[in-house]
Amino acid sequence: MANDIILETESLSKHWGGIKALNDISLQFHDRQLHGVVGPNGAGKSTLLNMLCGTLQPTSGCIFHKGDQIEGMKPWKFVRRGIGRSFQKTNIYADVTCLENCAVAAQRRFAGSFNLFASRHANKLVREAAEKALHQVGLADRIHTIAAEISYGEQRQLELAMVLATDPCILLLDEPMAGMGHEESQRIIELLGQLKQTYSIVLVEHDMDAIFELSDQLTVLDNGTHLITGTVDEVRNDPRVKEAYLGKEDEEEEAA
Amino acid sequence: MIFEKRTERIVLAIFFVIALCIPLFLEDNSFFVGKVTTILILAVFVMSLDFLVGRVGLVTLGHALFYGLGGYLFVILTPEYEAVNFWVYAIYVMGISALVALVVGVVVLRTSGIYFIMITLAISQMVYYFFFDSLEFGGSDGLFIFMKPDTSIFGLSFLDLDNPSHFYYLSLLAVLITLVAIKIILRSRFGRIVEASRLNPERTEALGYNIFAFRLISYIIGSTLAAYAGLLFALQYGYVNPQFMTWEMSGTALVMSILGGMGTIYGAILGTITYEGLLYIFEHLSDDWMLFMGGSIILMVLLLRKGLAGYLEKLLEK
Repeated sequence: MANDIILETESLSKHWGGIKALNDISLQFHDRQLHGVVGPNGAGKSTLLNMLCGTLQPTSGCIFHKGDQIEGMKPWKFVRRGIGRSFQKTNIYADVTCLENCAVAAQRRFAGSFNLFASRHANKLVREAAEKALHQVGLADRIHTIAAEISYGEQRQLELAMVLATDPCILLLDEPMAGMGHEESQRIIELLGQLKQTYSIVLVEHDMDAIFELSDQLTVLDNGTHLITGTVDEVRNDPRVKEAYLGKEDEEEEAA
Repeated sequence: MIFEKRTERIVLAIFFVIALCIPLFLEDNSFFVGKVTTILILAVFVMSLDFLVGRVGLVTLGHALFYGLGGYLFVILTPEYEAVNFWVYAIYVMGISALVALVVGVVVLRTSGIYFIMITLAISQMVYYFFFDSLEFGGSDGLFIFMKPDTSIFGLSFLDLDNPSHFYYLSLLAVLITLVAIKIILRSRFGRIVEASRLNPERTEALGYNIFAFRLISYIIGSTLAAYAGLLFALQYGYVNPQFMTWEMSGTALVMSILGGMGTIYGAILGTITYEGLLYIFEHLSDDWMLFMGGSIILMVLLLRKGLAGYLEKLLEK
C-alpha cells in the first residue's frame, strides 16, 4: 500500500505572523483516489493547495512527492513532476483559442520550448495532446473558439483541460465547480468520476453533494487544524465534524 | 506565412517597394538618402523595443542603454587608424551586448511592473553618466570613428560604407532581418510561451514553465538588436556620444512604437516614419515645433487607440 502514495505532507504549517493559517497537517494522497478536502471558509483549504503545488512556501513541515522531498522548489518544478493544479478563479488565456490554451499546457512535455525557429503550429504531438485534453473534458466542438467567448462553465472545463494537457499524475483542483449551474456541475462530477480511475485527485469543493459522491478519502479542516481524515461515512458520523463544520454551515445558511 | 495579417503584408510590401526605390531616384540628394537611412536605423531600434514592450510584456525605459552600447563597443573595440571588417566586428559588438544584456537582465527581471520601469531607467542612467563623466571614453563629446570599416565577405566587397546609397541598403537590410527574425521568434514554440507569459504569467508558471528564463532570453534578443541599430547609427554619423543612451531616446522610441501600434512590430516601422516625418515638417514650419509635435502626438494617441497599425487593420481586415 505504501508505494502508491503520490503526495504526502508531514507536519505542514503555514503561519502569517501570529496567525496560524494551517497547523501541523500530515496527509497522504493515494494514486487513483479522489481525496476531498472540506472545511468552512478560512479553514486553510486553499492555503494547503497552494503549498502542495509550490506557489506558497510552508513555514515548516515537509512535502514528499513519490518519496522525494520537494517543498521549497519553484512552482514550475512541481508541475514537471506531474503535480497539476487548477485555480479557484478561472485562470486561462482569454485572448487565444481553446486549442492554443491547451497547446501551451501540452508543449512542455514534448520539449523544444526554447526553439526560436520552429513554428508553434508544426508539432503534431502538441496539437494532438491539446485536442485530446479538450475531448476529455467535452470541449471538442470549441477547439477553435476564443476562450473569452465560451460560457463560464465551459471556461471551467477548459481550466481542467489545461491541467490534463500537462500530463499530471496528481490533480489539485480548487473548487472546479464554483459558480456553476446544476447541469454543468453534474457534467464535471461525471468527468471527475472518470478521471479518478487514472489520476490521483485532490479536490477542494464547497458543493457537499459532489464531495460526498466522489471522495474516496475525505479530510476536514477547521480553522487551520486537521480534524479528521477518513471515508465519507466515517467523516459524516464523526461528532467533531458535526459540531465544527456542519453545525456552522447550518448557521450560515440560516443567516443567509 | 510569418506575416499573418493582410494589412501587415500590404503595408510591408508598399514599404519595401518604396524603400528599395528611394536611392535609385534620389541618388544625387545624399542628404535625403541619409535622413531616410537614419529613420531605417531607428526603425530597427523601435522594432526591438516593440518586441520587448508589446510582445514580451517588458516595459523598459532603459532600452537606449543598448543602443548607445552598440556604438561605444564598436569604437572601443576597433583600432583607431585601421579599417576593420564590419561583419566580424558587428558580431563582436552584438556578442558583448548580449552578455551585458544577460547580466542586466538577471538583475532587472527580478522585478516587474512599475519597478521594472524604474530599475531599467536607473541602470541606463547610471551607464549614461558613466560615459558622460569618463575621460577615456570622451566624456560628453563621445568618441569618433576615423576609419569606416570595410564590408567584404571572403575578399568580395559589395558595399562601400562611404557611399550613402550603400549605407542605406545596409540599413534597409537590417530592417528586413530584424522584422523577419522577430516574426519568426514570435511564431515559434518559444514565442508561444513568451506570449503566454505576457497574457497570464501566473498560469504559465503553473503549467510548468520557468518564465524568468523565457523573459531573459527575450530581453537578450531585444537588447542585441538594439545594439546593432546603435552600431549602424554610430557608423552613419561617425561618432558615438552619451546622447545615444539618454532616457529621452528610450522614451521617444516608446512613443514611436505606441504611435505605430504597440506589439504589431510592422507598426514600429510606421510609427518611426510618421514620428520622424512630422518632426521634419514641424521643424521647418515653425520655431515652436515642439508644441506642434506634442499636440499631434496627443491627438493621434487619442484618435487611434491601437496606433496606426490598428487603424489600418480596421480598414483593411474584413
